[in-house]
Order: sequence, then structure tokens, then C-alpha cells
Amino acid sequence: MSTIIKATNVSKVYHKTTIPVHAVNNLTLSIEEGEFTAIVGPSGCGKTTLLNILGGLDQPTEGKVEVGGIDISNMKDSELIDFRLRNIGFVFQAYNLIPVLTALENVEFIMLLQKRSKKERYDRAMELLEQMDISDKANSKPSQLSGGQQQRVAVARALASKPRFILADEPTANLDSTSTSNLLDLMAKMNKEQKATFVFSTHDQRVMDKARRIVTLEDGTIVSDVKR
Amino acid sequence: MIAIIAWRNVWRNKGRSLVVIGAMVIGIWALTFAGGFMQSFLTSYIQSAIRHETSNGQVHHPEFTQDYDIQYYIKDYQSILGFLKQTHAVEFVTTRSLVNGMISSSRQATGVKIIGINPEEEAKVTELNTLISEGAYFEGISSNPVLIGDKLAEKLKVNVRSKVVLTFQDMEGNITAGSFKVAGILDASSVAISESSAYVLKSDLNRLLNIGDNIHEIAYTTVVGTDDEALAKKIQSNFESDKVESWKEISPALVFMEQMMAATLKILIIIIMSALAFGIVNTMLMAVLERIRELGMLMALGMKRAKVFLMIMVETIYLSTVGGPVGLFIGYATVSYLGKVGIDLTDYSEGLEAIGYNSILYPLLQPMDYIQIMIGIILTAFLASIYPAWKAIKLKPIDALHTI
Repeated sequence: MSTIIKATNVSKVYHKTTIPVHAVNNLTLSIEEGEFTAIVGPSGCGKTTLLNILGGLDQPTEGKVEVGGIDISNMKDSELIDFRLRNIGFVFQAYNLIPVLTALENVEFIMLLQKRSKKERYDRAMELLEQMDISDKANSKPSQLSGGQQQRVAVARALASKPRFILADEPTANLDSTSTSNLLDLMAKMNKEQKATFVFSTHDQRVMDKARRIVTLEDGTIVSDVKR
Repeated sequence: MIAIIAWRNVWRNKGRSLVVIGAMVIGIWALTFAGGFMQSFLTSYIQSAIRHETSNGQVHHPEFTQDYDIQYYIKDYQSILGFLKQTHAVEFVTTRSLVNGMISSSRQATGVKIIGINPEEEAKVTELNTLISEGAYFEGISSNPVLIGDKLAEKLKVNVRSKVVLTFQDMEGNITAGSFKVAGILDASSVAISESSAYVLKSDLNRLLNIGDNIHEIAYTTVVGTDDEALAKKIQSNFESDKVESWKEISPALVFMEQMMAATLKILIIIIMSALAFGIVNTMLMAVLERIRELGMLMALGMKRAKVFLMIMVETIYLSTVGGPVGLFIGYATVSYLGKVGIDLTDYSEGLEAIGYNSILYPLLQPMDYIQIMIGIILTAFLASIYPAWKAIKLKPIDALHTI
């Protein structure tokens, strides 16, 4: 398996007050292709900051982040937008679907940005919705879907762009136990069948139980890294 | 897809969007109607001036209009009359002899422009007969009848059938005078007609001037839609030794009024569009601020800032232009309907007619005016879209995503 993400001596310092806050502190981490990794730790330990840096949404104060061998730490904003579109899938805690689009259109949207053909967009979106067991809601707007259903659409959207890996920030935080269980099963299936690489940040023990690698952070530093 | 998202976004908050669209409809309707109403005043004034004073065009000896010297009569006016009568764009023609002189009654005397006319021809060209308020149009007086304006009659303290004396120089430079009887009094908004003109029969004036059948002025009216300037040039090219002028050259003040009205319409467009633009910007800013997280998510997923900018612009343009054509159509319908039936302002007729307007006004807008308003709408939509769109792309995805 090849290394997809390589973060080397990454630090992120915020200067919101007079005292600098080290959200991520000299952290080094590699993620291999096909991994199902959970980044865990107490609130404020730097999980979300790390995910944002790995996803190119934020830039490290120090250190280097490489995705597929490409250094994204110093990319320009416009380059990062394009890079994210082609390489990274996102699943957000609050689902963040486009409310005026149907489930199908939401999944198609990311492929539209990639300028894929109409047929390809439709076929892949329908295929993903079927795999996520939500094709019957293809024409429903997000407001007509439950939280679990919306999150499944969000995962389908993240997979639609055929990214190198998917970052999921607390994807089950707003879901009930049944929805969480269903979503995790589906993501695990995608990981296994499609070799999709998932990196989660989570507090949720059920996510940790499903993960095959658990990276634990404290004060912006890795305190344990366990593969199962 | 951007167009679809933008369109659906417009209807996310139906109430708010409908308020903006309603404001656009009412604003554009008001603008169109106000423009048409203003134009009706101008048209009324210009048409009145053309009809009763300048006509659509006039022909003179080139030297005559400088100081109204009667020796500068039109040499071969019959040829010009023949040409005008054969020109389809020319509706009616009349000939006049003119001289400046004095008019005196037993009580007062004043300077006056004495106009010798053919009553029948003049009635067709200037509708002078319609201005009679007292007496009759060259009737009831057997010899040397004269028509004078109401203000002049008041000044001279004369009435119908009163005697007045017109004094002027004849062709040889001799002072000559004629006794005339007031046949009718004219009630006209034009100062020239009501205060300083005396209309006599051309035959009477020519006899006193000793100029035979000669004339100093040919006035003509044209059929609706004629380009009066082009026609004047055409006549001029055929009779180079005479001076042919359209009403625009005869009365630059009317042209100035026309230009002022066009400028006023433009200013009105700018004022109303600016007010609407602020409303649109306000609404779109609210829409952007409500969707900070969503916009951040779009950029996080990989939507380029240019596309986000375009999406907000398209959304604003939709919001602005949905109401525009509806308002314009309702405005067009209003102007067209009132343009046929007229707006009856007879309650204010005394004041209106005193300054040269009809008491029934017919709103009118030219196609170019509608085009100007349409351009105004598009420009407003475009300009109003820039600021909200700029605000949207200034968002940082990471900050926007964490906005509650």
C-alpha cells in the first residue's frame, strides 16, 4: 500500500490572544491507501485542526503536508480549491448538503465541478446512492431527509469525485445510534469494496470500534497510534 | 447547474424575494408611467407650438428673418408651393406676408407683428380659427378685418368690432396706415399670438404694403412620422436661393426642452434604479450572510471563487430582472392605454393652458425610452450583484464552515 498523506513536523499556532495556542504541535503522521483511520482525543486536542490541514482547508504554521507526493502546505488558495476538488472528499458533522438540490443533484454537483459528462454524473450518482442504500430518496431535498439519510448522501457526494481519501469530521455526532451504525457499516463497506481511504475525527466509541487504526491526540501531539 | 441553483436560491425565502420583485415591478412601472406622463407634457407643448406658431417648417428669403425687412420677399414662391404640394410628407401649406408695425386704438398703441394671411389656408396649417374666443374668424366685418390676441386687446382696451389702426412702412419706405376693425379675439397660450400679433387678410396687407401678390413666408405642416429636418433639407436642396427651416431651427427653445426632458428621464431612471439597487443589495447581503456556512462548504468541496461569485451574481440578476420586465410591461400597458384615452386634467385647465399645455394629456414613450429603461434594469441588476458576490468570495472556507 502506498502512502497517500504524509504530514511531517506539522505545527499550527493560533494567535487569538496574547498567548500563542499550539493546536497542532510538531506532528508527524502518514496515512496509507485504503486505511480506515480514526483520529481521537479530547475536545481541543487538535483533531479538527489536523483534519483541516490534511484536507488543505488550512495551512500549517510549520511543517509539510504531502498528498500523493504533492506538497500542499504552500499552495495558493486557488490551487488548493482545485486540488481539493480532485483529491479530497469531505463529510461534515452538519451534513452540509446544498438545500436547494435533490439528493441526486447534490451527489452530481461535485462531478459537475469536475466537468464530467451528464451521463457519467447521473450513472455514478445513482450507483453511489444505491450503494449508500438511499436511491429511493434520490429526488428528495435535504429538508425531506432524516439526519442519517442526509449523512449518507454526504458520503455518496464525497465518494462521487473519486477522491484519494475522504476526511470526515465527527460524521456521526448528530446521528442517533441506528443511523450511526448504518452509516458506519456503509462506510466500512465502501472502504473494503472500493478501497476508499477514510480519515475520521471522532469522539464516538462506535466509530473507534469500527476503525482499523486509531490515532490519539493530546495537546496537538500524537500520544498513541494503534493499528488493528 | 449554477443557473439552476441560483434560481432555486432566489425562491428559498419566497416572502423576501417577492418583496424585492414587487418593489422592482412598482418602481419600473412608476418610472415608465412618470416618463410617459412627462413626455405627454412635452409633446403637448411642442405640438401646440408647432401647430399654432412655427408649423413643421417655414420658407423665407435668406435675409428676411434678420430684421423682417419687407423687401426680402420670396422670389419664386409659386415653384416652392408647387413642389410642396407634390411632396407626400407635406400635409397643408399657407403663405403669409409680414411686417412689423404699430397697432393703436383710441386709448393705447404698441408694437406688433402684422401677419397677412389666407384665412382658409391658415386655418388648416395653424388652426388659428380654433383660438377664437370672442367674435368670429374673419367674419362679420366687411372691410379690413383684424384678429388680435386677448392680452393685446386688453392692453389696447378694445373689443370685437372696435377700430384699430395699423401703421408700418410700405415697400417704398413710406409710413402708411390702415384702419382695421377687430373681427375676433384670440385666446392662445403663446405670448407671441396673444400679446404681439395682428392677423389681417393678406390681400389687405399686400395692398397697403404695395407688394402685389408677393409673400414673405411659406409655412407647412407634415404628416405624422415625418422627419421634419430631413424634409427641410430636401426642400432646401431644391430651392437653394431661399432659406428652409424645420421647427427645430425656427425654435431652438423647443429643441432645448426636448433635450431637457430626455435628460430628466435619464436622471429619473438613475434615481429610481439607485433606490432599487440598494434594496436588492440589502436583500442579497442578507441572503449571503445567512448562507455563510453553505458558501464555505461549496468552496471547501472545490467550487472556485469565480463560480461562487458568478452564482451570487446570477442569483442577484434573477432577483432584479424578474420584476423588471413585468413592471416594464405594466408600464407599457398603462402608457399605451392612457396614450389613447388621455389623462383628463380639466380641473387644472386654466393653469395648464396658460403655460401652453392641453388639459388632456396623452402619455407617450418612444421605443428608445423603453430600451433605456431596460438597459437601466440590466445595469442595476449587474451593479447590485457585484457587492454581495464580492462579500461571498471573501469568505474563508475554514471560517465559514465553523459559522453557526
